[in-house]
Amino acid sequence: MEAQPDLTQLVKDCSPIVRFGLLDDWLALARANSLWPLTFGLACCAIEMMAAGASRFDLARFGAEVFRPSPRQADVMIVAGTINKKMAGAVKTLYDQMPEPKWVIAMGNCAISGGPFVFPGQYAVVEGVGKLFPVDVFVPGCPPRPEALIEGILKLEEKLTGKRRWPTVKPE
Amino acid sequence: MNGKDANPEIPENEGPLTPGLPNATPSGVGQQAGPALEPRPDPLARLPLPFQAVDYGLKGYHLEAAVQPDQVVWAAQHLDREGFSLDTITGVDWLAQGQMEVVYDYFHPSRGLRAVVRTRIPRENPEIPTLSQVFPGANWHERETHDFFGIRFLGHPDLSPFLLPEDADYHPLRKDFAA
Amino acid sequence: MIVNEPTCASAAGTAPRETFVLNLGPQHPATHGVLRVKMTMDGEYVLRAEPVCGYIHRMQEKMGENRTYAQYLPNTSRIDYLSAMTYTHGFVGAVERAARIVVPPRAEYIRVITSELNRISSHLVWWGAFLLDLGGFTPLLYAFDDREMILDLLEGITGARLTYCYYRFGGLYNDVDEAFLRGARQFVLHMRPRLKMYRALVTENIILRKRLIGIGPISAELCRKYGATGPVVRGSGVAYDVRKAEPYSVYRELDFDIPAFPEGDSMARYLVRMEEMAQSLRIIEQALDKLPDGPVMAEKVPRVLKLPAGDYCYAVEAARGRFMVRLVSDNKEIPYRVKLRTPCLSNLSLFEEASRGMLLADALALLGSLDMVIPDIDR
Repeated sequence: MEAQPDLTQLVKDCSPIVRFGLLDDWLALARANSLWPLTFGLACCAIEMMAAGASRFDLARFGAEVFRPSPRQADVMIVAGTINKKMAGAVKTLYDQMPEPKWVIAMGNCAISGGPFVFPGQYAVVEGVGKLFPVDVFVPGCPPRPEALIEGILKLEEKLTGKRRWPTVKPE
Repeated sequence: MNGKDANPEIPENEGPLTPGLPNATPSGVGQQAGPALEPRPDPLARLPLPFQAVDYGLKGYHLEAAVQPDQVVWAAQHLDREGFSLDTITGVDWLAQGQMEVVYDYFHPSRGLRAVVRTRIPRENPEIPTLSQVFPGANWHERETHDFFGIRFLGHPDLSPFLLPEDADYHPLRKDFAA
Repeated sequence: MIVNEPTCASAAGTAPRETFVLNLGPQHPATHGVLRVKMTMDGEYVLRAEPVCGYIHRMQEKMGENRTYAQYLPNTSRIDYLSAMTYTHGFVGAVERAARIVVPPRAEYIRVITSELNRISSHLVWWGAFLLDLGGFTPLLYAFDDREMILDLLEGITGARLTYCYYRFGGLYNDVDEAFLRGARQFVLHMRPRLKMYRALVTENIILRKRLIGIGPISAELCRKYGATGPVVRGSGVAYDVRKAEPYSVYRELDFDIPAFPEGDSMARYLVRMEEMAQSLRIIEQALDKLPDGPVMAEKVPRVLKLPAGDYCYAVEAARGRFMVRLVSDNKEIPYRVKLRTPCLSNLSLFEEASRGMLLADALALLGSLDMVIPDIDR
């Protein structure tokens, strides 16, 4: 006969989070398919973000077209544009105001590492939003194409659910 | 509904012609043979300002005047009366000469003229009177020039940082600025 | 409708005035970028609207002193990314003027075609975003749909959708192909009926007319005092356009009108931009007809440019107004000073005076009709 599992250890493993297994998977799927982005277009990348939400590239297919101006109602902050030292405080405040669970997509080279505005002696640009708070997905480009942003959102969905959305397109 | 076309008073940009086009004016004046550019008669000759005609095809403005720092407001008042609009105010830091140059660009909305007024102030104590009583648009241009160079515009209503953070105490476009 | 006159009780003096400061931005859907406006409000009426800029200051002028002339070209697209071609034109033109480089005529015509396509795409974004501010979502989708056609054309020749770096000193780096010329003609044929549809759908819509007619009057004298240019000054009756006042490139060869409306309200500025799109289509057609054969790059342009000492200016008519580059050179490979005179700074500077006493919603309609791109102000 097998030894009884150590119940004390099991309780310790489960606490403080009680995991429901399948329900967690369902919650992750629901969250991944209805990411509500915060309208946080700062500069040029904002236009490609708007184009991604418009009719040709259509973020609505992925459940993410509901751009919320208020951080209290948003899941994911798509940082599209350059973060300035003057703006950094406001960005951090917005991030703090977003309720959990929240994610961050750094869109564009400026949000990843300061972009083309980094030069010796630069005084105004924060070199990447990763210096302010943790980033989940990086989408490179200057600006990235709307398809690249959609790929970034799909990567975020993969991070949430563990599986990439079907169908996957393989490059030839 | 449709407005007037090109004003007849606009001074023509006479320059050598681009081969292949009957009336073209190249975006830059070339080295081909052609009529030498005559100095244009000064359309602002009646103003008591030391305007000199300038080769528009090379420089991009028609007239320029170098004045003393305490004359910039008086120059602006004259240009205002002539109907000019303030294009921009900018500074140039001539570190080697120990001076800062303040350049005022003006454009005329109906005569197509471009005038430039320049002045030089000492670099250690850069002060110059403000233009904001004559041209309210100078307010922001002067704040920006103060941000970048530290030039103080005397009489300006609010010389707080415009593009830099509110607590900035550095002037980044100075040639001796180190981040 | 009475505008610019607070009719509330406190203004009439029958109740003590109690004001509060409302902070609009820097993150706000209606400010088109990171603009912060500190509004001192008396109920719904704006007593004082003070724009605070600098939240996207990207040191463009300082970078001009740290980059060679060629290395600075990508920066020019990012000042006002919606009309990136015209901004590159301004910088490239200044260098060509100083170095006395003659651009071949084919390159000049292609520059005009691409600049005007860029102007239409910029006005489409303005139109969609402006209607979004006023509460209508549909025009944004129509505008972006038409804009995608332009972006496909420009991507075919430049490789980029938004921040092109197409012009070089002396011409272009890439010639256009048959597909582009065919596509440009097809676009002109497609766009004309679309503009008619926009007129019927939006411009003649009673809700839009009630929201824009008489709102935010700006006089020509106010424009002159603040240096406002572009559709802002043309919506106040002054037909000032750099393409006619200081003709550059081959605009002198082309036949087009400058739309100007004398009313000075937001509707006039709106109509100016809609009419400008039609005029741009006219320019594109003429330029396509007159496009000569030949090289697209001047010969013997030095790889490393050193401009003679002095200062040089070049002004272009960007989508938002007069854009001028002032280069100061001291005969080195990198400029001594690059000054960018941008239209949005002058256009926004009159917002404080123009919005006194307006209702908040009307102030936002005025702000939308000024067509702001904030990195243009902050550079």
